[in-house]
Amino acid sequence: MGWNGLFKTLVKKLGPLKALIIASEAGRVTRKYPFEPPLISEEFRGKIEIDENKCIGCGACVNVCPPNALTMEQDNDTKVLKYFIGRCIYCWRCIDVCPTGAIRGTLEFELATNNIDDLHEMVVHEVVKCRVCGKPVTTIAMKDFVLEKTRYAEEYIDLDPYCRKEKFIKAIEGRFGYREQQ
Amino acid sequence: MSGNSPNNKKSIVDEYVRRLSKYASDIKFIDDTLFAAIPSNSFREAVKLVHDEFDCYLRTCAGVDERPVNGFFAMYYIFGDDRNGLNIVLKTYADPSKQVFPSVTDICPAADWCEMEARDLLGLEFKGRQQYRLVLPNWWPKNLYPLRKDVPHDIKPKPSFTGERVSVGRKGSSAPIPVGPYHPALHEPEYFELYVEGEKVVDVKYRGFHVHRGIEKLAETRMTYQQIPFLAERICGICGFVHSTCYCQAVEKAARIDVPERALFIRSIILEIERIHSHLLWVGVAAHLLGYDTGFMHSWRIREHVMYLAELLTGSRKTYGINLIGGVRKDINEDKIPKTLEVLSIIEKEFARLVDTMISVPEIKFRLKETGILPKEDARKLSVVGPTARGSGLDRDNRRDLPYAAYKYADFNVPVYDEGDNLARTLVRVDEVFESIKIIRQLIEQLPKGPIMAEEIDIPENRMAVSLVEAPRGEDVHFVITGYGKPYRWRVRAPTYQNIPALKVMLNGVMLADAPLTIASIDPCFSCTDRIVVVKSDGRREVLHLPSQWGGMGCSRL
Ligand code: SF4
Ligand code: SF4
Repeated sequence: MGWNGLFKTLVKKLGPLKALIIASEAGRVTRKYPFEPPLISEEFRGKIEIDENKCIGCGACVNVCPPNALTMEQDNDTKVLKYFIGRCIYCWRCIDVCPTGAIRGTLEFELATNNIDDLHEMVVHEVVKCRVCGKPVTTIAMKDFVLEKTRYAEEYIDLDPYCRKEKFIKAIEGRFGYREQQ
Repeated sequence: MSGNSPNNKKSIVDEYVRRLSKYASDIKFIDDTLFAAIPSNSFREAVKLVHDEFDCYLRTCAGVDERPVNGFFAMYYIFGDDRNGLNIVLKTYADPSKQVFPSVTDICPAADWCEMEARDLLGLEFKGRQQYRLVLPNWWPKNLYPLRKDVPHDIKPKPSFTGERVSVGRKGSSAPIPVGPYHPALHEPEYFELYVEGEKVVDVKYRGFHVHRGIEKLAETRMTYQQIPFLAERICGICGFVHSTCYCQAVEKAARIDVPERALFIRSIILEIERIHSHLLWVGVAAHLLGYDTGFMHSWRIREHVMYLAELLTGSRKTYGINLIGGVRKDINEDKIPKTLEVLSIIEKEFARLVDTMISVPEIKFRLKETGILPKEDARKLSVVGPTARGSGLDRDNRRDLPYAAYKYADFNVPVYDEGDNLARTLVRVDEVFESIKIIRQLIEQLPKGPIMAEEIDIPENRMAVSLVEAPRGEDVHFVITGYGKPYRWRVRAPTYQNIPALKVMLNGVMLADAPLTIASIDPCFSCTDRIVVVKSDGRREVLHLPSQWGGMGCSRL
């Protein structure tokens, strides 16, 4: 084996040592998180925030939320939008559909806690009751929202769907002198 | 291969129709899929024709409870003719009083698992084969078949504690060695029993499906069309975008929704980003399994660039959350393109250097070469997919054979190696990283302008479609029958489902020390953890159930 051959063998044997060069060039790539800011881009989707002044309690976000992180509960006096962060997958579908822009996305992801209550948020709405039967119809905020769009809604906005139908039938009766056949 | 002229394709379809019409009562051809309904008494002959004479692969089979619609249970066997870019769906009915189907496992062994899955989940019986419980746990009550339409999605039978015995001395003098219930490196639940003689593995038993999650049932009962993409991407902890794309494509195909070009390009770009990150992850894990942690660290260091890029383009490191039926939700706008190209050059340069260094370590090469061999014939019979197939000389790749998204606009090679060993599968993945970089560059250059979401999305009921996506670990299949507001049936077949049975062949005769690497060489994706197995001092194993919210991310079983 001549010098050339020896050199070739040496390079081959030392091949694996190239890793040292790679390592020294790369240097340290980890961050001293949490003492340094985490590596997230501005496009990151984190936890959502619901602005209770803008939310009207329409429930659109509840319908699209894939894991049921958003739920709506209604009793006689209130309608409550509940957000449970523990279930949220940060897809931001709720932001897409909210008609009033009440939901805002944040970059927040450090949500670990030892108190589960920290993971629940809610927006409480007062409800409008039907002026005929007294059943809850919609939220006050929703009523205002609709009235702002169309004043004609004043006629029926505070009526329960059933009472609304009754009213409609009565109106038709009045107009055509028609009586429902029994 | 994909360069089939439409005329040629038409004559091939005609040939299928001509020869199948002997058995089939009803044949339809839509897009690239041939649907044929065949009575159960001549079903086996039809399968023989398609599998043996037309040389089609079995993609998967799916049981469907069609009783609410027509009073029958049905089985759909989905075959693929990759050379001609066709899907062949053979459907058969069973007498509703007996629910017995003819088994076709002797014709195509790849049907073994999906038939047993249909038996577990729908209570169908298969004549002419050995039957056993596959996906449901042992304690699950008999006569409760979760995928039947009259079974609600939220039943919770009370689990009971059952034990499973390690079967000692199965093969002569061989000794059993349990591997699992977690994979030593992939941290996923799976259980292998390796039978060794000396240091050599002579047989292997696999027990999987520890974590059946009921995803298909969930989608068919309580979710809506546009919510399911977010569930689909959670099938897998790595190829999430693959699953959501595959689902969306299936519904789009069934409903004939026109997806804007730009959205298709974005899908392809993100799919390739996912492939790069998956392969870099795998190379790292393989190095780790070989004791070469330097390689592991550097592979993952390079991978971090891709993860950051994924977050920049989709809003999530895991490429989650941008697919919807009809398009995508996030645009790749102009100012993100330079960053993307920059990251691609970094990866290209650094990965080439790392591979070069890694392969020059003699021990690495020595342990990869000629271990875990899967011969071509076995690969064909088991219909394996992805790098596992391409490492055994099978030239299949859906991106080229049945192009979807924007792949028809990209020019790329499909690496194929004939050796069938761990080295071949590694090299396929290494080459694919560079091919993916090439694809992304081409697509970015041609990225068309326009909207990213279809304007009108209207999904009629009772349509069917098969959709395929080449995931990093192989072909992913979604089969959809549309229903009202949600799919009537959604069947998912993840690539690992097809590849695990091949491990029996690969592990035969390998040294015990090479077994973990060989198992990892199919890049398996087992599933998320929701129960653990306790080995008692007397050798009995007990199953302990954890609340499901403890489940991690993870993978391929549904
Ligand atoms: S971000 Fe997604 S998961 Fe979270 S509340 Fe909104 S819709 Fe639900
Ligand atoms: S207003 Fe927005 S946040 Fe409030 S319920 Fe409707 S969609 Fe949800």
